[in-house]
Amino acid sequence: MATPQELSDFLKSIDKRAFKRTVYHVRNDESALDIVQDSMMKLAEHYGDKPPEELPMLFQRILSNTTLDWFRRQKVKNAYFSSFSDFQTDNDDDGFELLESLSIEEPGTEFENPESATERKQTLLCIEKALLALPGRQREAFLLRYWEGLDLVETALAMGCSDGSVKTHCSRAVQALSKALQLKGFKP
Amino acid sequence: MNGLYRQNDPVDTFGMRVAARLEEESQNLPYVIVERLRASRVQAVNQRKRILAESSPVFLLDASTGALTMGHGGEHSNWWNRLGAAGLLLTLVLGLVAINVIQDDLRANELADIDAALLTDDLPPAAYVDPGFMQFLIFNHQEP
Repeated sequence: MATPQELSDFLKSIDKRAFKRTVYHVRNDESALDIVQDSMMKLAEHYGDKPPEELPMLFQRILSNTTLDWFRRQKVKNAYFSSFSDFQTDNDDDGFELLESLSIEEPGTEFENPESATERKQTLLCIEKALLALPGRQREAFLLRYWEGLDLVETALAMGCSDGSVKTHCSRAVQALSKALQLKGFKP
Repeated sequence: MNGLYRQNDPVDTFGMRVAARLEEESQNLPYVIVERLRASRVQAVNQRKRILAESSPVFLLDASTGALTMGHGGEHSNWWNRLGAAGLLLTLVLGLVAINVIQDDLRANELADIDAALLTDDLPPAAYVDPGFMQFLIFNHQEP
C-alpha cells in the first residue's frame, strides 16, 4: 500500500507531464488543471491503497477517462465536439514560417546563446503545433508511449485497445509528425 | 525507459527525441500553473491521509467515567491502547455469556423443584387437568 509520502512523490513526478498532455487534448489551461486535479483526487480516494508500482498505470487510465468525461460534458454543453478526431486540424497555411531552419537535437549542456535558445523555443512550438494536428488517438498513443515511457502493453491497457492498435497509432503519429516537421524545416 | 524501445529503430528514436523536447518544455511551466498543480497534489495527499485516519477505528476507554467509546486513531495511536480496549471488550462479552448461563441454570432448578413437589404430593398430577377437580377447588374456596 502506498504511503501518503509515496503518493505525494508520485504525483510530483507526473503532474507537469499530465498537465501538458491534457492541454494538448483540451487546449485550455484551466480545464486541463481541473482535469488533472480531479484525476489526482480520484487516485487518492479510490486507489491510494494500491502498491506504488501500480500508481503510474492507474493514473494514466484515470487521466484518460477524466479527459474523456470532460469531452462528453462539453459535447452535451455545446453540442460541438463529437470525438477526439474532430480536433484534427487541416490548416497548414497560416503563414507561420519561423521554423524553417530548425532541427531536433539533444539538449546541449554547454552555455546556450540567445539565438540557440530562440531556435529551441521555436522547435518546441513546431512540435506542439504538429502534435495538436494529430488525431486524438494517435496523439494519446504517442504521448503515452514515448513521453510517459509506457511499453506497448501498458499503453494498450491505458487506452483500452490492443497492442497492434498502439503500434499502428504510434507509427502513424511518428510519420505524421515527421512529415509535418520536415515541411517546416525539421531535420530528424 | 530505453529498455522499452528498440535500438536503432527510427520510429522509436524519433519518438524519444520529440518526447525529450516535450519534457524539457514541461519543466518550464508558468509559476501560476506550477502552484495550482502543487495545491492539487497537497489536496489529494490530504484526502488520502483523511481516508487512512477514518479507516482505522479504535476503542477508547475514558478513565474518568469508565465509558467505552469508539473513536478514530490518529498517527499517535499505539497498539497497547488497542490491545487494552480489545481486552475490555472480551471481558464484557464473557461476563454477559456467564450471566446468561447462570440464569438458565437457576430457571432449570426452579422448574425441577416444582416438578419434584408435584410428583411427591399425595394428589396425582392428572387431577390438575380434571375440570371436576377445578370446580371442587373453586367451590371449597368460596365456602370456607
